[in-house]
Amino acid sequence: MITLTAVTKTYPGASAPAVTGLSLTVPEGEIAVLVGPSGCGKTTTLKMINRLIEPTSGVIAIDGRNVLDLDAKELRRGIGYVIQQIGLFPHRTIAENIATVPRLLGWDNARIEARIDELIDIVHLEPEMRNRYPRELSGGQRQRVGVARALAADPPVMLMDEPFGAVDPIIRARLQDQFLELQAELRKTIVMVTHDIDEAIRLGDRVAILNVGGILEQYEPPADMLAEPANDFVADFLGSDRGLKRLGLIPVASIDLDGGPIVAPSASPADAMAAMAEHGTDWFAVGEGGRLDGWAHGAALDGVNSSVGDLPLRRYRSRIGVGATLKEALDVVLSSRTRFAAVFDGENYLGMLTADRISQEIVR
Amino acid sequence: MIVLAQGDSGPFIRWDWIFSHLDEVWDKVFEHLVLTFIALAAGMAISLVLTVVALRYRRSYGPITWVTGALYTIPSLALFAFLVPITGFSVLTAEIGLVSYTLLILVRNTVAGIDGVPADITEAAIAMGYDRRRMFWEIELPLALPVIIAGLRIAAVTTVGLVTVTALIGQGGVGFFILRGLGRFFSTEIVLGTALSVILAVAIDGALIALERALTPWAKTRERVA
Repeated sequence: MITLTAVTKTYPGASAPAVTGLSLTVPEGEIAVLVGPSGCGKTTTLKMINRLIEPTSGVIAIDGRNVLDLDAKELRRGIGYVIQQIGLFPHRTIAENIATVPRLLGWDNARIEARIDELIDIVHLEPEMRNRYPRELSGGQRQRVGVARALAADPPVMLMDEPFGAVDPIIRARLQDQFLELQAELRKTIVMVTHDIDEAIRLGDRVAILNVGGILEQYEPPADMLAEPANDFVADFLGSDRGLKRLGLIPVASIDLDGGPIVAPSASPADAMAAMAEHGTDWFAVGEGGRLDGWAHGAALDGVNSSVGDLPLRRYRSRIGVGATLKEALDVVLSSRTRFAAVFDGENYLGMLTADRISQEIVR
Repeated sequence: MIVLAQGDSGPFIRWDWIFSHLDEVWDKVFEHLVLTFIALAAGMAISLVLTVVALRYRRSYGPITWVTGALYTIPSLALFAFLVPITGFSVLTAEIGLVSYTLLILVRNTVAGIDGVPADITEAAIAMGYDRRRMFWEIELPLALPVIIAGLRIAAVTTVGLVTVTALIGQGGVGFFILRGLGRFFSTEIVLGTALSVILAVAIDGALIALERALTPWAKTRERVA
C-alpha cells in the first residue's frame, strides 16, 4: 500500500507549487492512474515515490514506512520503474537489461538466468531475443523488455510513467490488454501516469484527476467517476461521451438479459405472432435451450400451419460475446438492422440486448 | 626536400641503405610506438580523472578546458626547450610534452561523450538503484566510448606526429631519421622517417577503429540497421 499524506513539492525558484497538499492511498494490488493536463504535477508525484524527486513537505509511505527513512538505492531496487522512452541500456543485450536489478541485488548467476527465461516468457518475447541489443528490437518489443526489466526482482510496487506512450495505437491496445492480464496474475501495487483519459479509465482500478499545481480534483474507481464527476473540471476532462465511456467499463455478463422474440422450433405460428407483438418486432427468432437456430420475417408465417421449425431460417448475424463490454454491444445493436444483438457465451445463446436495455445501464 | 635533394649527390632513396639498417629501423619504430602508447595511456588516465572532476564539480570544467587549452597552444619546440633544463634529455621530458597535447582533446571528448548519454537512460539507471559511481563505470562510460575513442584517434594521430619532434631532445622514434638525415643532407633518411611516421599514424588509427568495433558491438548493429 502506498500512502501520500499532504505532499507538497515546490521547485526552487518556482512561484507556485508543482504539487499541492496531495493525499491519496493506493491499496495493495491495485492500479492507480494519475491523469491530468500538463503542469498538473503527475510525473513529479510519481518521481517522489521512488525519491527521484524529494517532496518539500508531507509524507510518502510504502507499507507504512516513510520512503525518506529508507536508503534511496535499496528503496529503488524494490520498486519497478517503467518510463515512456523505456530507457533500455543500448550497450547491453536484452538478457543483460532484464538482469539489471537482480545483478545490483547480487543474485547468483543461475538464479538470474532462470529469472530472465521466466520473464521473457511472461512478457511474450521470443527466446531468441535474449542476446539481441535494444536497437534491433521494435518499439513494442522494447516496451516489453522495459516491463520485464522492471519486474525482474519481483518488486511489490511498480511506477509507470506513460508506459505505452512510445508505441503506435494498435500495438498499444494489445500491450495494454497483456498488461492487464499480467496484473490480474501478479497483483502489483502500481502507480501509473498518463495524459490519456481513455487509457486511465481502461487500466485504472482508481483514477486520480489532477489539476494544474498538483491539486487533486477526484480520486475514485473510473466507473464511479464517470457516473458522478465531482465538478466541472473533472466532467470536462472525462469528455462529453462520459456515458459511452462508462458503457466501456460494464461487461455484458453483468446485466440481466431478455430472451427477445424467440420461440421454440415446435411453436405454432400463433406463438410466433405473440412473441413479435410482445417485443414490437416484425421478425422472430427460433431456438431453445441455449440454441439459436436462426430468424424469419413475420410475413413468412402467412398460410403456414405447421410448427415454425419447418420454416426456412436465416442465420442471426448480429452477435456479441458475453465477455464484451456494453459499449461494444451497443455498436453491434446500432449496426444491426433488427436493433437486437444476440449474446453468446461460446456457442451458448444467452439472450438479446437492445439499445433501450443498454441505455438503462447509463441512466441507472 | 627538393632543395635538400640537390645537395645530395646520390639517388633520392637508397634502398640498399634502408635494408642494411633494418635493425635500427625496427628499434626506432618500436621506440616510436612506446612513446606514443605511454603518452596516450597517461593522457587517457589523466583525462579520465579530470573528466570525473569536471562532471562532479561542473564549475571546474571551465578552468580545466582553459588550462588544457593553454597547454595545447604552446609550440612543441618551445615546450621541450623549456623542460630540458628541468627534466633533461629524457623520456620524461618527451612524455610531459606529448601528454600535455593530448589532454584538451581527450577531456573534451570524454566529457562530451558522458554528457551525450541520453537522460532517459541515466534516469532509468538511477531509478533502478544504481549509485553514481557504478553508473559512471557501467553505464555512462561504456556508452560514451564511441565519442571517447573518436577523441583518442585524433590524439593518437597528433601524438605520432609530435613524437618525431622529440628527436630534438634525444628521443623521437622515427623522427631520429629525419633529424639525422637533415644533419647530413641524406634524403633517404628524411623520406624514411617521414613515411614511417605517416604509416604509424594510419596504422594506429586503424587499430583504434578496430578497438572501437570490438568494444561497442551494440553500436555496430546500429549501423547495420540504419
